[in-house]
Amino acid sequence: MNMTNKTDKTEKIQESPGKRNGEVNIVAFLCNWCSYAGADAAGTARLRQPENIRIIRVPCSGRVNPLFIIKAFNLGADGVLVSGCHPNDCHYGEGNLYARRRFEFLKKFLPFMGIDSNRFSYQWISASEGQKWQNVVINFVKRIENREGK
Amino acid sequence: MSVENNLKEKAGEIMEDLELLVGYSSTNLPLKVDPVFIKDKGGIDSLVFTKTCINNLSTYAYSLAKSTEGKIGMVLKPCDTRSIIQLLSEELFERDKIKMIVVGCSGIIAYKKVQKYLKGLRIISGKIEGDSLEVGTIEGKHSLKSKEFYADKCYWCKIYNNPPLFDEFIENEKELDAVPREKYEDLDQFESMGLDKIYSYWEEQFGQCIRCYACRNICPLEICRERCITHLEVPHWQSQRINSDEGRFFQLIRVMHLAGRCTGCGECERACPKNIPISKLMKKSGQIIERLFDYRTGEDPKKRPPLLTFKDVEENIKEEKIV
Repeated sequence: MNMTNKTDKTEKIQESPGKRNGEVNIVAFLCNWCSYAGADAAGTARLRQPENIRIIRVPCSGRVNPLFIIKAFNLGADGVLVSGCHPNDCHYGEGNLYARRRFEFLKKFLPFMGIDSNRFSYQWISASEGQKWQNVVINFVKRIENREGK
Repeated sequence: MSVENNLKEKAGEIMEDLELLVGYSSTNLPLKVDPVFIKDKGGIDSLVFTKTCINNLSTYAYSLAKSTEGKIGMVLKPCDTRSIIQLLSEELFERDKIKMIVVGCSGIIAYKKVQKYLKGLRIISGKIEGDSLEVGTIEGKHSLKSKEFYADKCYWCKIYNNPPLFDEFIENEKELDAVPREKYEDLDQFESMGLDKIYSYWEEQFGQCIRCYACRNICPLEICRERCITHLEVPHWQSQRINSDEGRFFQLIRVMHLAGRCTGCGECERACPKNIPISKLMKKSGQIIERLFDYRTGEDPKKRPPLLTFKDVEENIKEEKIV
């Protein structure tokens, strides 16, 4: 396969041993209108990404109930990534603005349960930001692989 | 006993307008009271108000407001009015549906604290006089100081004789004599234990959870009861297994559900048969909401709860950049 854009970063990730069976599992909830298209753009442009991410497409980041995130952790996900349109850019007007408040609360609360808040992240990635998606995935996977504790 | 007499007098005056009056009545069990539902004037004599009225009667507010046609009277402590205010701020029923008879409070004895002090011995008699608390067990009588056994919320209470919202207010001639404490002082110490220790602490606590859902059923703000995720078969969010993972899952969902709504009445912890410190979670949730959105629950029925609204620019949210 002809992989363009092969950087040192991605090579390092492939070499790193990981924690569980050599691999970490990450669940990503992507909004249909921006981030899913952004991830698609990254794929079309053949930007190389680690393969630990399982993507679930949702209509809007506001659709992501914190219940989904907690359930994903409960079922053994090492990390959860939620991504949607940039604030004020939501397809439905205000979905991601409600979501931002919920996610920020959850992120602040997780350490109180003894769960590393680095395992959860929410990002805003638009349909044209394939490059940003690649960077986020690479760095998020790296962060999960290098985490300590629960 | 004049507070009690005033309460009975007031209740008698307004009973005509009410379909139902919810209050406290005495029971055979020492240091406990029962909720009582009064339909006519004859029942008013059974009302009591003592230092053991720990129940938050606003638990019945939502379901009674939905199931009755007339007005409902409710005997509340000043701290209990917060729950009603919170329900009103979510526009769950009309303001005039519930007639709030607020009685000034001078500290409420937490039964669980007394029992913990007696190392689980059964309490067979209890008497409160002024500052002293006489408790009898099979091993003899104990003379305790009542102000050391108040419910946690009493130690940072500032509204004991100054309720934020009421229809009728009966002042208590006694002052709250609890030594004031900082609300969040124990959280910092808990958090400084480090993630691993915190995780194993909760693992042990939730390992005991039998998921009786008493904490959910008693909560005045968890109005979802029949529609709760624990009842759903499709999707099957909560499994029937009993282990700490499932307990943690359930409590995290509860915390998320009550974020920016919990008024810290402490009923969940009181109802817990396994003595899991649930109110610690709720306290942390309140602290985060205060810091992020500058919102305190149960103060203003016109203010929108923080997770039901948004701002274009959030001053206190710093989004992380993973690049």
